[in-house]
Amino acid sequence: MKYDHILIRYGEMTLKSRNRKMFVSALRKRLNRALDGMDVHIKTTRDRGYIDLLDADAYQVIEKLKHISGILSVSPVVKIEKSEEAMKETALQFAEDFGTGRTFKIEVKRSDKTFHLETFDIQDMLGGHVLKNTDHLSVNVRKPDHTITAEVRQDAVYMYHDTVQCLGGLPLGTGGKGLLMLSGGIDSPVAGLDVMRKGVEIEAVHFHSPPYTSPEATEKVKKLVDIMSERTGYDIKLHIVPFTELQTTLYDRIPDNLSMTSTRRVMLKIAEKLAGATGAEAVINGENLGQVASQTLTSMHAINEVTNMPVLRPLLTLEKNEIVNMAKQFGTYETSILPYEDCCTIFKPKSPKTKPSLEKVRKFEERVDFGPLIEKALSGIETYTQNSEEAEEFGELL
Amino acid sequence: MHYFDNAATTKPYAEAMHTFNKVNEEYYFNTASIHKAGRDSAKLLEASRKQILQVFGLPHYQCVFTSGATESNNIALQGMLRRKKRFGRTILVSELEHPSVINILDHHQKEGFKVKFIRTTEAGRVDVDHLKSLLDEDVILVTVMAVNNIIGSVQPVEEIREALTDYPKVHFHVDATQAVGKVRFNYDGVDSVSISAHKFHGVKGAGALMLKEIKAAEPIHYGGGHEFDIRSGTVNLPAVTAMAKALRLSVEGMSNDKERLKDFNRMIREEMEALRSITIQPSGVPHIINLSFTGAKGEVVVNALSEKNVMVSTTSACASKRATSNETLTAMGVDKEVIDGSIRISMSKDTTHRDVKMLIRSLKEVYEEIGDVLK
Repeated sequence: MKYDHILIRYGEMTLKSRNRKMFVSALRKRLNRALDGMDVHIKTTRDRGYIDLLDADAYQVIEKLKHISGILSVSPVVKIEKSEEAMKETALQFAEDFGTGRTFKIEVKRSDKTFHLETFDIQDMLGGHVLKNTDHLSVNVRKPDHTITAEVRQDAVYMYHDTVQCLGGLPLGTGGKGLLMLSGGIDSPVAGLDVMRKGVEIEAVHFHSPPYTSPEATEKVKKLVDIMSERTGYDIKLHIVPFTELQTTLYDRIPDNLSMTSTRRVMLKIAEKLAGATGAEAVINGENLGQVASQTLTSMHAINEVTNMPVLRPLLTLEKNEIVNMAKQFGTYETSILPYEDCCTIFKPKSPKTKPSLEKVRKFEERVDFGPLIEKALSGIETYTQNSEEAEEFGELL
Repeated sequence: MHYFDNAATTKPYAEAMHTFNKVNEEYYFNTASIHKAGRDSAKLLEASRKQILQVFGLPHYQCVFTSGATESNNIALQGMLRRKKRFGRTILVSELEHPSVINILDHHQKEGFKVKFIRTTEAGRVDVDHLKSLLDEDVILVTVMAVNNIIGSVQPVEEIREALTDYPKVHFHVDATQAVGKVRFNYDGVDSVSISAHKFHGVKGAGALMLKEIKAAEPIHYGGGHEFDIRSGTVNLPAVTAMAKALRLSVEGMSNDKERLKDFNRMIREEMEALRSITIQPSGVPHIINLSFTGAKGEVVVNALSEKNVMVSTTSACASKRATSNETLTAMGVDKEVIDGSIRISMSKDTTHRDVKMLIRSLKEVYEEIGDVLK
């Protein structure tokens, strides 16, 4: 079947009324970017979008659309004139591709109420035409193998039989900005992508402690950011915080079984300040209730105490295998499991408290002046975005 | 010199040579080294990998760098057969394949695999209906080249991929060596794709195997495990980077050259077709023309042209020094005398109008010289 358009059905933004325009124009921006370089023409209206496939392959375009939030589903369609003959001919073309012995039905959406045929007449006409001109198919209206849908609209008839489910959610850029704490493990990239699906732009923060943590560990986090940027069509900024001095100070001055809690508290303080500087309105992390000592409710309470900023934990109640499956689906899993030490694993205490006492944590922290060290860490941040490095470094070579 | 053997190898782009030299000077480090110089080289390697996958429209695929398509074919096919042996034994292969595919399968036939050949149409294309009739539960591999190296016929890659959707067990391998920069295929869904840099104006010694799933491949030689534990041996970064560049340039330049090469193709055909005893095979890509001096030996024509400073070849360079008959033309059902007298003329973006005029003039001179033996 030679398709000429792709029909885009919007997700939750169809529930919006007065500010719908803003959502549509945000989606439009994402489409422009994702399909850049492809030979297509994009059209978005209040209710739906169309991609005119000038010289592009429908399913190659769909592969790109699948990862754009705000799109509920898409169908490759054939746009035809509003004549009985054209509709009959196209329906037959669809049917000819179906396998022998399969069943089909015709579905009609007649939004042009002035069209001279009623819905049932169109179904009858198209179904009859297909049956008369093929001998390998039969009709089944309850559980058909294939459904050919004809949408009769003002401008033309759109016909399709395949619908591909997409990401859903809201267009990126309509939900404000969050700062993702990105460790390099399996969970945090999934948390980031999940929040992005709801339209929230993100920047990421990663803490490294050279020479205790290897350059590969940082490269790995950059790679994760690349994968996430690639997938969402949005250049995620990664802020890399030099954490060595704070890490060794915490190691020296805070008792072993509380150092993990304090480390998290310091990290969250830094994240909060960085969020303020980047315009983020929330911190996002991949915490999962009960997964490790720092992720018990008591620990979260003790850690969260340092900030008023909302801390979003989209993976809070998921099962580990659900998270792993999401990571695999998002394409971050293979990179996440690369075995490079990060600062959490190297300075990991032997037996961290699962129920740290907030009072004790405060008492030990009071004896150390973290303020200047935090300021120093903040001023030493290096920011990375996908393509920024290689484009500058290797532009001429590639 | 007038060079018409571009299907054997091409002249590197000046830009690719610049990249090659510069990388040799500035990034000569081992991409597996831990130090900064090594890491920077590894970054360049990854950037090259990404660019190659992007140009192919396969950003979600894996790309293993090799020394060329022969090695890529070997890794793809040998490893795959080893893994899939317990699921079935039947291999379907087009009759048109290159020795680097056929000889692997020949070898495996001795180990209990059944090799079945997919018929070829008169136009030199794989017969998809015949392929469909050969498919059964025992088939584990289908391997087809994208563009044939002898007559340039374009193979129905997408159609075959469609035909295989109901056979998830089948690994579909495509040798795309001759297709790069000539035909734009949608390879998405193909299990593995081989390419070789020197066929599209890169430097010799670099190639790639693109894989839908990395675990489909297994190493065929062992060592430090550089490329995904599949291809050991220090990566030839200068050649790989030059390949990424050459690939981008050839795909970008594709439409520019196409019309010009079509004109050249037409010129050669029109001038030669009129002559008695000359048979020309149907063309696929405009770059390649297979032309026979019926009654003469192809080798004699090649040598005669060579003396006139025009370089063509008989069959694929990889097999042309062996006396075996030409598999592609045999598969198409071409008469033996026509096969024996066949030469391959292959052009590239470097071919000029003057080259083509000289070729035609020389072909006609040779035609006069050996006229006595022609039938």
